[in-house]
Amino acid sequence: MHIAALAKVVPDYEVPAGDFELAGNRAHSRYTRMIGLYDENAVETGIQLKEKYGAVLSIISYGSSADVPILRKAIAMGADDLSIVQGDSDDPFVIAANLKMAIEQMNDIDLVLAGQQSADLDRGVVHAILAEMLGCTFLAQISEIESGNGAWTVRQNHENGSRMLRLSGRAVFSITSSPQNVPRIPAVRAIMAAKKKPVGKLQGIETPPMQAGEVKVEIPKMESVCEFLSLDDLGQTAKTLLGKLREERYL
Amino acid sequence: MKTLIIEKIEPKKIGELVSVGKILGGEIDILALGEGPIPGTYGRAFQCPDIIGANLVGSVAELVQKNGYQAVLLSATTLGSELAGRLGARLGAPVLSEVIAVGPDMTVKRPLYGGKAVAEFKIAANPAVLTIRRKYFEPATLDGQTAPEIIRIADPAVELLSEEPVLTQGVRLEDAEIIVSGGRGMGGSDNFSVLREMAGLLHAAVGASRGAVDEGWAPQTMQVGQTGNIVAPGVYFAVGISGASQHLAGIANAKCVVAVNKDEEANIFKRARFGVVCDYKNFVPALIQAIREEQ
Ligand SMILES: Cc1cc2nc3c(=O)[nH]c(=O)nc-3n(C[C@H](O)[C@H](O)[C@H](O)COP(=O)(O)OP(=O)(O)OC[C@H]3O[C@@H](n4cnc5c(N)ncnc54)[C@H](O)[C@@H]3O)c2cc1C
Ligand SMILES: Nc1ncnc2c1ncn2[C@@H]1O[C@H](COP(=O)(O)O)[C@@H](O)[C@H]1O
Repeated sequence: MHIAALAKVVPDYEVPAGDFELAGNRAHSRYTRMIGLYDENAVETGIQLKEKYGAVLSIISYGSSADVPILRKAIAMGADDLSIVQGDSDDPFVIAANLKMAIEQMNDIDLVLAGQQSADLDRGVVHAILAEMLGCTFLAQISEIESGNGAWTVRQNHENGSRMLRLSGRAVFSITSSPQNVPRIPAVRAIMAAKKKPVGKLQGIETPPMQAGEVKVEIPKMESVCEFLSLDDLGQTAKTLLGKLREERYL
Repeated sequence: MKTLIIEKIEPKKIGELVSVGKILGGEIDILALGEGPIPGTYGRAFQCPDIIGANLVGSVAELVQKNGYQAVLLSATTLGSELAGRLGARLGAPVLSEVIAVGPDMTVKRPLYGGKAVAEFKIAANPAVLTIRRKYFEPATLDGQTAPEIIRIADPAVELLSEEPVLTQGVRLEDAEIIVSGGRGMGGSDNFSVLREMAGLLHAAVGASRGAVDEGWAPQTMQVGQTGNIVAPGVYFAVGISGASQHLAGIANAKCVVAVNKDEEANIFKRARFGVVCDYKNFVPALIQAIREEQ
């Protein structure tokens, strides 16, 4: 079994709104870069499948080779190898076409795991486009995967609960977070070893973007009007709060 | 604009998509998924009993091409995400997800960076595939019913083995006028019982942050935020929640946020109307007591 996990490096997604700054249409370059949160869930899921089924886990990313040191975290977590397709497009069709190229070069990928959504553009689109380009099935919001009798049995989360699904053949899954796939913290020794791992570098391909142009990006205004309640007597604080909520007709 | 709505037979979700279709203008058709009568009046209605997005791609793509739809509207849900990208790739159509505003000239807005920024796009080709974020468009009233043409999936790739709904006791998050949510600061799954008690007294729903869901203290159906439930209550109590932008993205349309957090620097206070800086273990019981005294 050969599994590919897709990982995108993004600017720190924990920067609070008040400190967020754009440079042009994208986050300012001063923010620390990291692997997207859901992509780490996908990597963790891949490692668990590797441990369970003796699979090989390859990490594939499209982006700048300057981000390779950050992607090495996935190796330190337990992935076997890392390839980067070099390019700088944000277009989902361009990214998917480049990821497809890398997957096809590997020749024997059985399963592609992606994060539910990138932690910068918050789109949840690239993986499904990729699946269509690869000519295989795509399932969204997967939280558990089992393999047996030539088929995948998976749990899919949705708004009202979850469902169990079965399918065979090559597939792309988007991985959602669950208590079972909280990303492991790599050991120091594994981090050191990951630094020495050779990295596959592929030149990105040019391909047409989708026909929807980004006109502008703006930071919405958030007005802060918090009224902090006195804490001298919490019973009184609770009464004051209820009173104010009723006065302003919220309750 | 000729628009196709694709949604399960859930009136609120369909209603929101109809509202978006009305902004785009022109004829609105529907592909309703699941069983039962289709609420609302449409140019044409199609119905498919299969609700697994992955099984629908081929049939939907054919429908769009045959009928010349210029816009395909889905909700930003598991179903929407499973269909939108593949449809876009199959039809060579632009795909924009998590849309929060649309204009008749096909400009659309969607959030980036966990809602810390908003991007505007101009769509230059059709068909276009859009997934619409919940709770940003007032659901249209759906008068009447439309008799459907039935579509059956010949060779489904994905087999449904079982459905495991999470049954919510009390008020559903989606409909709640008051929500009491707990985060990682709750410290454990048992501690959610005080939130349930408070919610019971206020006829409120209980929600959770991703932090609490990842800890296994609450089911994912309770998650509030950009990748959980998008909610729009009158009052939202955030207890032990730090106020990450991705959480706030789920409560952008809440009218009043009350934050209980022991860290006065917590970001949630930037969004809150009222703030209580203390350990929830001290304050929530006092609040429950005050509510009881009022009743
Ligand atoms: C792409 C993406 C999507 C995401 N989607 C979502 C989403 O949909 N929903 C979501 O919630 N998050 C989402 N997140 C995660 C988000 O970034 C945060 O990690 C998460 O919201 C943190 O949860 P929390 O506030 O419960 O935990 P923490 O950030 O750990 O905060 C806990 C808070 O509790 C307070 N506290 C501790 N003890 C007490 C006490 N006894 N009394 C009072 N206060 C106390 C602390 O001061 C702290 O502020 C997403 C992230 C990404 C990257
Ligand atoms: N540049 C990229 N490199 C690797 N994987 C990516 C890239 N962009 C998107 N993906 C994968 O596709 C998922 C969905 O991306 P998006 O549509 O941008 O939200 C991400 O969580 C990643 O797993």
